[in-house]
Amino acid sequence: MKRAIIFSSATVAGLAGVFGFHTAPVSLTLSSLGSSAGAAAPAVGAGVTSTTTRASTTSTTTAPPPPSTSTTSAHRSAKATSGTTTPTRAPSTTTTVARTTTTVARTSTTVSSAARSAAGEAVNYYFGILSVSVTVTGSKIDSVKIAQINDGGNFRSQQIDQMSIPILEQETVRAQSANIQSVSGASYTSAGFVMSLQSALKKLGI
Amino acid sequence: MSHHEVEVMGTIVTFDLFDERGFLSSALDVAYADAARDLKRSDEIFSTWNPDSVISRLRRGEVALAEVPEEVIEVLDLCRRASLMSAGWFDPWSAPSGVDPTGLVKGWAAQRALVLLERLGARGVIVNAAGDICVSGSPDGVSAFQVGIVNPFDTTNLACAVRVSGGIATSGDYERGEHLFNPFTGECTARGASATVSGPDLGIADALATALVVGGREMLAVIEGIDDYEALLIERDRSWALTAGFDLVSEVTL
Repeated sequence: MKRAIIFSSATVAGLAGVFGFHTAPVSLTLSSLGSSAGAAAPAVGAGVTSTTTRASTTSTTTAPPPPSTSTTSAHRSAKATSGTTTPTRAPSTTTTVARTTTTVARTSTTVSSAARSAAGEAVNYYFGILSVSVTVTGSKIDSVKIAQINDGGNFRSQQIDQMSIPILEQETVRAQSANIQSVSGASYTSAGFVMSLQSALKKLGI
Repeated sequence: MSHHEVEVMGTIVTFDLFDERGFLSSALDVAYADAARDLKRSDEIFSTWNPDSVISRLRRGEVALAEVPEEVIEVLDLCRRASLMSAGWFDPWSAPSGVDPTGLVKGWAAQRALVLLERLGARGVIVNAAGDICVSGSPDGVSAFQVGIVNPFDTTNLACAVRVSGGIATSGDYERGEHLFNPFTGECTARGASATVSGPDLGIADALATALVVGGREMLAVIEGIDDYEALLIERDRSWALTAGFDLVSEVTL
């Protein structure tokens, strides 16, 4: 026999989202989100959203927009990627890299301290098509949201989306502050989510 | 870092390798393919949804135990062990439709995939089978892996984070509805909102998590008496309880 069980009543969580393990903001540690080989994204429409700094990370409670019409046959595209590359990470400082035009397809990157956002490519995932949008300050992710999702209207996929997508959004933001490598619970749609996120980050030069 | 996903068992299983030295892509391809093939084989054998699977035929009495692949014997042995450990709260033989090892198979299969990926020699490996996670090594060669536990009342948030060295599984009906079966009453009702169990074997942890969400605090007391397995139970009234060795990194916030 071991020790005694620790009981505790739930304390009122107030506005939630506040964890005791928020360490000093580290540079991108999206270790759980791996390095999928997202296709090089054309830099389009990286609209700047001037959000406030990341106080409460719980602001990503977005209900996915209702799916438009589509068939379910679009689903099972092979997206199994064996990403052997390591994504280039921007420096965690907020210096302004003035017009660094790299030789790669990536366009000039300007790492500024203002909040910027971009939408990732629409990617096939197991239950449909989705794309995410990400808002960053410097090279730090403030929030990740589903920009578009089409799960074919299938009940099971909708159910799973509603459960797992908010978790993935949260996982992304948490991963860099709490240094979590994975999430236990429901994480069904991670594949497409990660790929779209990677392409959104690429657009931002991160 | 290297990341890979496999569509199998009606979900996505992810592989993550941690090693700053990088990987030989040909070796990665082989290891990923081996691990994916193994998961698919596990699914083919144990899918209760597929009427042609070995387990379905076994349930219908169309095939004898002497004729089944060795994996079936191994899983049923593990089920027997888990059933004893859980004082009967996990009981695959109590299902009216015949023996159903589903509550344990996902964890067991993920762990087999982990062993195949370990051949690459990475400093750290994670296999996440839709929330059932097994790890080996370390993300950076020093610290332990840390895993977030989903808040069952607000799935946009995590309830807490925990250090993991073997496997960790979470069970709860917030995810898939009524699939949890009480072997003592025959009802499909769960007492807890969410149950998480960590320990050296992910198959056992998976089974114990299923038992814990069904059995509630009675089952938590059982797990407290099992060496090397630790648990967190989140109740429907938002209270929670955990075994003394559950290695929390943060407070539980619901």
